[in-house]
Amino acid sequence: MGPLLPNELIAIEWNYVIAILIGIAFGYIMEASGFSSSRKLVGVFYGYDFAVLKVFFTAAVVSVIGLYYMDYLNWVDITQLFVQPTYLSAAIIGGMIMGVGFLTGGFCPGTSLCAVAIGKIDGMLFTVGLMIGIFVFSELFAVFEPMFERSNLGHITMVDTLGISPYWIIFGFTIIAVVVFALSDIIREKVKKVFY
Amino acid sequence: MSKRYKSKKILAAGRYRILAAILLLLAGGLVLLPKFSENEGISPELFVKNALSTERYISTDQLADKLINEDPTVLLIDTRPEEEYAAYTLPDAVNVPLKEFFNENLNAYLDQDVYDVILFSNDNFYANEAWMLGNRLGYTNLYVLKGGLNEWFGTIINPEYPDETMPREAFELYSFRKAAGMYFGVGIVQNSAQEKPKQKKKVVTVPKKKKRAPEGGC
Repeated sequence: MGPLLPNELIAIEWNYVIAILIGIAFGYIMEASGFSSSRKLVGVFYGYDFAVLKVFFTAAVVSVIGLYYMDYLNWVDITQLFVQPTYLSAAIIGGMIMGVGFLTGGFCPGTSLCAVAIGKIDGMLFTVGLMIGIFVFSELFAVFEPMFERSNLGHITMVDTLGISPYWIIFGFTIIAVVVFALSDIIREKVKKVFY
Repeated sequence: MSKRYKSKKILAAGRYRILAAILLLLAGGLVLLPKFSENEGISPELFVKNALSTERYISTDQLADKLINEDPTVLLIDTRPEEEYAAYTLPDAVNVPLKEFFNENLNAYLDQDVYDVILFSNDNFYANEAWMLGNRLGYTNLYVLKGGLNEWFGTIINPEYPDETMPREAFELYSFRKAAGMYFGVGIVQNSAQEKPKQKKKVVTVPKKKKRAPEGGC
């Protein structure tokens, strides 16, 4: 049956409307989880708050379990879902740059816009920096492009690479998630409390 | 106050444990779900649409025309059982019995896009079943001989002479069929040549000379 848009169960014109609605809901949940505070966000790196890790990991695990149940029931054809292409080395380098930016700026791109929405000045400054970064990268893309293309592995998933049933991977990830949550709680107990 | 806070904390911790357990159960459920192999090929909606369409049919006259002109794109597939195939079949037909339809060795005939595969059987039932299986699997260029071999016999091998009131086209079609029948009729004789009944030896009767009645001597 699904996905709804590619199979034209919902007219394609609704694409952007739905995207905006989902975006608003996403922003609302992030703000409600306290992700517009850079102190809370960087808590992951200092070990006094693991909300970011928990929220995103839970979201990923819940959605993947839900999607695969829906695939099993033929509500969604998992093979029709878009898989982002993997640019391996580009992703590693980009991830490191993003990590440094995250730690020093205190936001990731989405949460910085959340902070802008509730009028935080640091969030606004971060967003300006973000835009400058995007501009510089776009202008210099011709320089980076060879490295980009070299590391393109296509639309691969762990199911293809490892040849393991997706259900086992999901089960493994869920176990990892629960263990990591428990560990993060233990770490948080040991780290000095920070009030923010 | 602190006691209340502590009990609240324990409650919250218990709630998280339950949620984590539910998450693990659901993920484990995915692993334990009975697996079924999903149908390959085209979607059911498209399949129904194709099944209702009569585009797959090719008439015996069209087929005869193709065979006589030795159309190289035609591949005839006989979907009847082997014994019936051995008894009689169309020229150059390949035998893929319906029961052997998923046989991988025979699959190469069906799952390709080079030939126009024409399926036939005694009527079009077996051939239609084969066509449906093939269509569901997404095979292209499959056609069905309308009416099958029975229709073939009724129209090409032994065509009916049209009524005198019928239009000229009917007579033209008849003469085409008659000619085609002669073309293929030769094939029948060759096929059944092995089981030809022993020809009776021609008995040349030599008329015995009648004894001449004695005539009067000279």
